[in-house]
Amino acid sequence: MDRLQLPQTERSPLVDFDFDRQRLYLEGESYPEDAAAFFGPLIAALDRYLERLRAEPPASPLIVDLRLAYFNSSSAKAFMNIFQRLEAAACDGIEVRVNWHYQTDDETMMEFGEDFREDFQAARFELCVFD
Amino acid sequence: MPIATQYFDVHQRMRDQGVIFSFVGYVSEGILFSLGEALKQKMRLEETDANVTKRVFSIFVAQVQNIIRYSAERLHADSGTPAEMSSGLITVGRDATHFFVVCGNIVGRSEGEDLRVRLDELVRMDPDTIKSYYREKLREPPEAGSRGASIGLIEIARRSTRPIEFGLTELDADRAFFCLKAYI
Repeated sequence: MDRLQLPQTERSPLVDFDFDRQRLYLEGESYPEDAAAFFGPLIAALDRYLERLRAEPPASPLIVDLRLAYFNSSSAKAFMNIFQRLEAAACDGIEVRVNWHYQTDDETMMEFGEDFREDFQAARFELCVFD
Repeated sequence: MPIATQYFDVHQRMRDQGVIFSFVGYVSEGILFSLGEALKQKMRLEETDANVTKRVFSIFVAQVQNIIRYSAERLHADSGTPAEMSSGLITVGRDATHFFVVCGNIVGRSEGEDLRVRLDELVRMDPDTIKSYYREKLREPPEAGSRGASIGLIEIARRSTRPIEFGLTELDADRAFFCLKAYI
């Protein structure tokens, strides 16, 4: 699979899905005009990728880093969709690590991180503070 | 009344109510973005607390996206969503203690009733209940016919620091004017 890279825009996050290195990175703000159109292709790529990992479980973990400053509720739904897929993959034995990066004192992003963390059992979800 | 006096009067009345900006007419996603940028810039210049700015901005985006998606007065291009424009009112301001974001738009009567039911429910909830309700909705598959308003409204309630205020006034047999005021 070819690496999926989208540049950061004023309303959508940078996306870097490096399939060979088993890394997914999102950074920025997310309130696209059409959340389904923005996240649809990413979620479809994730589904194809997780199928591949299920067929051939990798020796090292899949690492997902999210560093978001603001997102609207349709984006929150999209993140939830992504997380549910990651947790399902982890339940099937794929090692998954999710790092939720938020700036010190950012109450909203910290709270979202705490919320999302409750959905992970099999995958490891870490809150990572930065200055 | 001379034109300057007339509009100065409008201007002053709004300033007296603490209005930072007010917009009436057709809104698009492009207008949402530009007004949002102006709002963030204004709050940055005034050195508003970053968490307050984020809350105001979150509520502003949720309110305006509700107008764009749910106003009964709308213009469509055949090409689909990006060209969508909907009519409504957006006011952002601050009083002695809080920022406020007001949005208003015309809705169909049954949509209005539906909003009333949802909001009555939200107004009765305490912050912890709102938080768990938000989490619950986030996990649910999208409701048929909805483009996300339910979670948008919960987002507004969750980011508000005082209970939200809302109202509906009947215009005719089929339509009502809906407005929602959130405080931060």
